[in-house]
Amino acid sequence: MDLRENERKVLLALKKANGRASIDEITDSSGLAHVAVMRAALSLEAKKMVKIHERSITRISLNEEGKKYAEDKLPERRLVEILMSMGGEAPIKSLLEAASIDGEMSAIALGWLARKGWARIDSKEQKVRLLREPETGADEKILTMLNMAGTLILEDLSGELREAFKMLKGRKIVEAHEETIRDLELNDEGWRLLEKGVEVIEEVTQLTPELIITGKWREKKILKYDIKAPAPRTWPGKKHPYLRFLDEMGEKLIALGFKEMRGPIVEVSFFNCDGLYMPQDHPAREIHDMYLIKEPEYGDLTPYRRFLDQVKETHECGWKSGSKGWGYKFSLLMAARLMLRSHTTAVSVRTLISDDLEIPGKYFAIARCYRPEFVDRTHLSEFNQVEGIVVGEDLTLQDLLGILERFAIDMAGADKVKFRPDYFPFTEPSVELSAYKKGYGWMEFGGSGIFRPEVTLPLGINVPVLAWGLGVDRLFMMRAGISDIRYLFTQDLDWLRRKGMV
Amino acid sequence: MPTIEVEREDLEMLLGLHLPIDMEELNEVFSFIKGEVKYAGEKEIHIDIKDSNRADIWGVEGIARALRGILGIERGLKQYGLSGELGINVLVDQRLRNIRPYIACAVVKGVRLSDAAIRHIMRFQDKMDQTYGRGRRRTSIGLYDFDLITPPLRYTVSKPDETRFIPLGFDEELTLREILKVHPKGIMYGHIVEPYDVWPILIESKDKVLSFPPIINSNDLGRLTVETRNVLVEVTGTVYSTVLYTLTNMILALADRGGEIYPVEIHYPYADLGCVRTPNLENEKMELNIQYVRKIIGIQLSLQEVIDLLERSRYGVSKILNEDTLIVEIPCYRPDIMHPIDIVEDIAIAYDLNKMQPRWPRISTVGGLNRESSLRNLVREIMVGLGYQEVLTFTLSNPEALFEKMNIPSEKVVELANPKVSSMTCLRNWLLPNLMEFLSHNTHVEYPQRIFEVGYCVVHDEEQINKARDLEKLACVTIHSSACFSEAKSVLDALFTNLELEYSLEETSHGSFIDGRAGKIIVEGEKAGLIGEIHPQVLQNWNLENPAAAFEIELDKIWQRLKSG
Repeated sequence: MDLRENERKVLLALKKANGRASIDEITDSSGLAHVAVMRAALSLEAKKMVKIHERSITRISLNEEGKKYAEDKLPERRLVEILMSMGGEAPIKSLLEAASIDGEMSAIALGWLARKGWARIDSKEQKVRLLREPETGADEKILTMLNMAGTLILEDLSGELREAFKMLKGRKIVEAHEETIRDLELNDEGWRLLEKGVEVIEEVTQLTPELIITGKWREKKILKYDIKAPAPRTWPGKKHPYLRFLDEMGEKLIALGFKEMRGPIVEVSFFNCDGLYMPQDHPAREIHDMYLIKEPEYGDLTPYRRFLDQVKETHECGWKSGSKGWGYKFSLLMAARLMLRSHTTAVSVRTLISDDLEIPGKYFAIARCYRPEFVDRTHLSEFNQVEGIVVGEDLTLQDLLGILERFAIDMAGADKVKFRPDYFPFTEPSVELSAYKKGYGWMEFGGSGIFRPEVTLPLGINVPVLAWGLGVDRLFMMRAGISDIRYLFTQDLDWLRRKGMV
Repeated sequence: MPTIEVEREDLEMLLGLHLPIDMEELNEVFSFIKGEVKYAGEKEIHIDIKDSNRADIWGVEGIARALRGILGIERGLKQYGLSGELGINVLVDQRLRNIRPYIACAVVKGVRLSDAAIRHIMRFQDKMDQTYGRGRRRTSIGLYDFDLITPPLRYTVSKPDETRFIPLGFDEELTLREILKVHPKGIMYGHIVEPYDVWPILIESKDKVLSFPPIINSNDLGRLTVETRNVLVEVTGTVYSTVLYTLTNMILALADRGGEIYPVEIHYPYADLGCVRTPNLENEKMELNIQYVRKIIGIQLSLQEVIDLLERSRYGVSKILNEDTLIVEIPCYRPDIMHPIDIVEDIAIAYDLNKMQPRWPRISTVGGLNRESSLRNLVREIMVGLGYQEVLTFTLSNPEALFEKMNIPSEKVVELANPKVSSMTCLRNWLLPNLMEFLSHNTHVEYPQRIFEVGYCVVHDEEQINKARDLEKLACVTIHSSACFSEAKSVLDALFTNLELEYSLEETSHGSFIDGRAGKIIVEGEKAGLIGEIHPQVLQNWNLENPAAAFEIELDKIWQRLKSG
């Protein structure tokens, strides 16, 4: 039988008490804390070593006034003692004065003096006469006992004392509380074990450097834990789940040979719109669709003058692109208007006119974009887009479809894909990608196309450029099991802490 | 992206066949015209048309025209001709030059319009006015019962109080000025004419007013009913080509319902524009190289296949120059065809994208992150290792959060000209306010809280072409009952040790931090950030009840000095 240190101590204490003792007694004799004895008692009972007997008792004690009486003696005792010293007869007034009793106490003290039959009060003559030698009453005995012991068990007292207690209770100087006390009794199993010999081995809860260094751990028993008990929570430092998801998208694109590209948040309209052959009066360029900068209003396109002129001519009449153009008067000023990037395609335009552009090349960007929306469950005024381009001779629409299919499978884990004709002002042909995943159904996963000649040629690119953008927000929301897009930028720390990482 | 509402029965009548009931199947059909079915009921079908450049399919007639080709009911170019001359003239007033200079008209005779057809035509007209016509600013359309009108017409101007007529939907005469005040359309579109002293009107020879463009038609002349047989269509506007095209688009819808088209002579008094006959139903021609088609699509289509696909897309092929070159006739309702690439796309769509063979591009490239991103990830990894939770916040902010609540004087920031809400009026120039705001939303969550963000801030920069510069920053904050300066400093130490960089601190005074517990972070003699224990006033401003310590670093200053990467 595997016994804990405290259980052993309790068994030994019981043996010393001849097999039966109360918890309090064991607490006294074993030196253990009351709760420790109680816990050991319960586990010994569970191990069928002891039986616990419970009984209800009335525990009595003195209240504050009672303690005072116990110290100073009862007032009638004080009166009778002084009366005796005054010769057995004295005027009431001087007796009370001598005993320092006054006020309403006077009546109570005199009343008890008479009631106990120790003296007679002659109200006519205002005198007190001793009647007999005053014996020590049961009430005084119990007062002394309580003063010494602190508490007593009413049921353990003699009938006389119990009666006296009732009287004291009437005088409101004692208190009584009902409680249950437990006795432990060794049963046969317990005796048998004790006969075989039980010794106390010291237990330790926490292994300490001292125990390890001194080797004392060998003499100790390391306490067993309830390993199923709950442990306190800790919150690890973690990356933001949405950013981690975007990192993962980036890694997949890198694995497919895509290089990261960069562009600024405050953008010149030329890169965001004009360079993409979006006519200057296009509805998508209206004030409710893009954030404009208050001051300064215009950027400086001087370094891009050559491209700017070519783009202007393309918009107006097609330049050398083979297009009719939009046929309107292009405003150079409007092309210099400063705004917040409204789509990552602006970054693609910057890459295309960069001196570092490699052909063939594959590029991607994951970048913050801005649109003036009221933020709600389905709209954000700033959001991240994942987008990119593939530049190279001999690229065709079939390559574009191949890229889209690959993205759907590698990045969204799609089972099948579907293509639909789409429209963007800057791509032709344009294709929308839908991905199907078991358990999720069909979802739109991206838009794409081949940049129009009106886009590429004025920027000095004369090979096809395949451009694509992926709707990864919805993919993340599906995976993370959220339906409110605001959770991408959540302010809910508790959610971030609890969100799993898989 | 306009949403087109059509009545199923009307569309089926125009198509000559029944459409599938199932939404998915219906969607397949409409995908060929870049449409997405939003609602498919027994009576109505609502379709989003993604192509904002193809006004010809913003009405049921145009949708039917295009689908008949795709479904193989009717192929090739649909010819629309003029049925004869009626000798109608429109005289344009010189004074319109700077107000609303252009007008185009045509008469369509012999139409029989059902209630459904009238409803559709009104919707189509409204869609054109709103989207293509930019809310009637660029173009607006008027339709009239031609039998009530005596030509010639005069497109002229009137002072706001000099002309009175009964506007559509009213039963009493109003002046133009009154129309702007009381008529719903006047209230809605009045701003277009308000800046001018005189306003456009269209009147006929007996001085009856047809309309007050672009506001409202006459109730007597400008209302179509099932009784109407002959319709006068008029378009006014500010862009000549758009005015012409809008007329074409409108009258073809009527012609598709059995009308015959008659032209009108417009007499302009402008130096550069004289007498013009409208509509112009001429089909433009464009040379198409088959090799080009093959190069873009990536399929070796034969000449015959290309011709077949063109005809299903309702193009005409007027001539085969050689085995590689075709002359394609572009329908007069397709001004969106600007370049042969537009024709190629239609060929690809008619071929069906889902019948193509997707392939991974045969070019080999090396992928990679740019240096800043790699280093950013390094910093994030260190912060996570130090037990900090990454957060993501908006870069749009407001001066109250950036300065006032942070207990510092205002600085110049990049502001928006058209903010949408007062909490997002400018770009943040530092991160810490966002972190404080984040903490203020989490006062009920278990402490200690330790959070960080790596993100962009934006500042003005005259040197840049965009007059601004993105600054990537790292900020972190620790908040709990015993958070203090030294806790933040030990994190800063750990960060720099792991970046293999040295830094020093220089005492500073900063409103966001407690005096004597704030420092500038100096890296190689240059200020790279701030560290300190947050000022109790700042904590109070954000309703925080625990002490906090934080630092913020400009990462660009770190990147420059890193030994590797």
